[in-house]
Amino acid sequence: MIQRPGFPISLIFPPQGHFTQPYLALPCLKAWLVQHGFDDVELVDANIDAYDRFLSREYLTRARDRVRERLPHKRFAGRAQLEFRELAAFRAATEAEVSADALIERIDDAKSIVRGGAFHDIERYIPATRTIYHALRLVSAAHFPSELTPHNFTTGYANDRSREVLAATLDETQNPFIDHFRTHVLPDLIARSPRVVGMSVIYGSQLIPALTLGRMIKAALPDCHITAGGGFLAYIGAKLMAAPGIDACLDSIIFHEGESPLLALCERLRDGHELGDVGSLTWFDRSRGGVRTVTNALGHPIKLDDAPPPDFGGLPLARYFSPELVIPYDINRGCYYGECTFCTLPTVIGPGYRTRSAATIADHIVRLRDELGTRNVNFITDCMPPGMIRDLPHELIARRADIRWWSDARVEPKAYTPEGARKLHESGCRKLLFGFETATPRLLKMMMKGQSLKSTIEVATNCARAGISVTFYAMVGFPTETRAEAQATVDFLVEHKDIVREVSLQTFHIDEVAKTYREPEAFGIKILSDPAADLQLYHDYEAASGMTQTEAAEVFEDMMASLRAHYPLFTGDNIFFFMQKSHYFLHLARGVTPDEFNDRCRRRAERRASAGPEAALSVGEDTRLLAVPFSYTETLAKLAHPLARAARPDFLTGRFVESAENVAARELGAIQRKERVLVYCGETAEFAEIRPDGARALDALRQCGSLGELLDLLPAHDQAARANLTSFAAELHRLGVLTTLQSASARA
Amino acid sequence: MTKNDTPKSEPKTPHGEVQRIEKREAESAPARLDFSKLDLTVEKVEERISPSETNVFDK
Repeated sequence: MIQRPGFPISLIFPPQGHFTQPYLALPCLKAWLVQHGFDDVELVDANIDAYDRFLSREYLTRARDRVRERLPHKRFAGRAQLEFRELAAFRAATEAEVSADALIERIDDAKSIVRGGAFHDIERYIPATRTIYHALRLVSAAHFPSELTPHNFTTGYANDRSREVLAATLDETQNPFIDHFRTHVLPDLIARSPRVVGMSVIYGSQLIPALTLGRMIKAALPDCHITAGGGFLAYIGAKLMAAPGIDACLDSIIFHEGESPLLALCERLRDGHELGDVGSLTWFDRSRGGVRTVTNALGHPIKLDDAPPPDFGGLPLARYFSPELVIPYDINRGCYYGECTFCTLPTVIGPGYRTRSAATIADHIVRLRDELGTRNVNFITDCMPPGMIRDLPHELIARRADIRWWSDARVEPKAYTPEGARKLHESGCRKLLFGFETATPRLLKMMMKGQSLKSTIEVATNCARAGISVTFYAMVGFPTETRAEAQATVDFLVEHKDIVREVSLQTFHIDEVAKTYREPEAFGIKILSDPAADLQLYHDYEAASGMTQTEAAEVFEDMMASLRAHYPLFTGDNIFFFMQKSHYFLHLARGVTPDEFNDRCRRRAERRASAGPEAALSVGEDTRLLAVPFSYTETLAKLAHPLARAARPDFLTGRFVESAENVAARELGAIQRKERVLVYCGETAEFAEIRPDGARALDALRQCGSLGELLDLLPAHDQAARANLTSFAAELHRLGVLTTLQSASARA
Repeated sequence: MTKNDTPKSEPKTPHGEVQRIEKREAESAPARLDFSKLDLTVEKVEERISPSETNVFDK
């Protein structure tokens, strides 16, 4: 194909997605466009760009000042009680105030640790990760009630109502991305002046940021065609394109797999042709005055084995929050099994199942390994069929690929035999994630999982014995599930904790593509719809038997508590390894075995639990105290209640109900005034709550220098005083608020 | 903080809290405190993991 000059294309990954590794869709699209003659294709990861900038001294300083202006903690000073509706603001204001200065001071170090060699030092990694989490809370507080976490972005606006979504794209008080795009994304785009901008919207958390950016690009570059695709839009795209006002943000949406439609769209726009024959495209026709939504016929998927390897060129690979790059690579698209009644993930890529050959995959992986200088691979697949489980290791080993990889998997007893698992490990497989779901055979049958508990454990055992870390996906709240059945799932998982290292526990929810939505009577449920939610994807339901949704949310808490009590990787703050995509895997990739890592986590938890009143304990230089008129921990407990969670617009849980805030306010009640002191230790990035007397004790300790020196001042015979103080110091030591560490500045 | 550090003339306190903390430091001179009578209760602040934060492996 002859390339014609002057057709720049920009493919943008909008916030919010996770920050540890690049996403795959846009590199696949770039490679396809380049292969077909469009060689001026730019990749922009606006997500990592935003995280990296928000997590900077300069931005956090601005955030702190903004919180002090918009959400001053003193506004709560004279209050006798706090209503439920005020709790989130109280939490945000107080934790921001007490932690901001330390976060500003330490954020650069934290990012360096997560990105560098210190990543593998657990004692430095955990505080660094917690610093990043807390810094995001500061960013969130500056845009209250919005919450930006490593896994989510929500605002005070409901994601399932187009009027609210559009309002959020214009609300600079809640939407941090307006300023970010204006100052850090738009100038480069304007300079480049692309003819087409394509955005990948995989998650609901990207919807508002993507439409925000689309609106700004349309205003700045009226001749640029703005299209969007991706998993989330495969679900709600038709509704979105029917909603009034969306044409101010987008020109079209591509449904399902993007390669062929995006190429055709670019060709038509380049050649000045109509868009009516671009497959799988829904677009706004502005040619006759006004705006008309046109839905084209579905296009044909590509032959996957002909697709080139993804092209990561142009992505800021050093900015992801991992010490080494992990390459995502798609083995296949769709699901070869495709029967699970709760799962709709494979549908977002379009109908049918397609795969690359094992030989192609191995060739591509070797090429990417050499180009990108990393041996870490995340195979993106719903699951690998038995033939691929057999062939791929063979091809990787034959090419001496010498990679380390992880992926999702389905329980296939004939493939994950002891020998099969050994071969997988030899080919570099270090972690597999299986859909376990539940320990109740009755529910497995309703889910049409096509697997037994016996076969699941057999497969997991074979993998574990081969040195592959096993993760189980589990869920709570499938229609008709009882509390006892959920408990049986936890019991089963705890019983097999030496085989299973991680559990990704989810609350069940119903989307509009799922069989549970289309055939509710088969599951004994009645679907509830909200007529005001014109972008609704998830639905509440009433079940004829079993747990209600609220009960399931409560049981989720109980199940997590059990897992955190028994799984070393989940104990205390070890859970941060689980929470950061690929981070635990990167330890495995360096040769640490799952058993060794488990032991490290166990020892760390034991060390923390046994921390005592060492004489050298001191108050860190950047430990802050803030007198607060209400209990922070009581506030957190109320906000963590399932009823409170349902009151937030949250696309992931699907539990946002308009009336939920009233219900939560009525059921959970207000909290009463209690004089407390919130403590934040910047060195360990730990919060604790003490009484005003405790603050006096900490001040005394600070003045003396160390616990030992303070104890020296107390009369030797005053055992009660000494016991009270040492018990206090030991508890704060266990919580990480008092340490024997030298401060960073002292080390320097 | 080490033994040789001088007592902090500028307490590390959040904005607007300096005076209050200075007053508290005066009250909390070690020799004047009766540690046996202080309420030294500590409340743990634990990271809670919500359902929206556990789906960490999705594609």
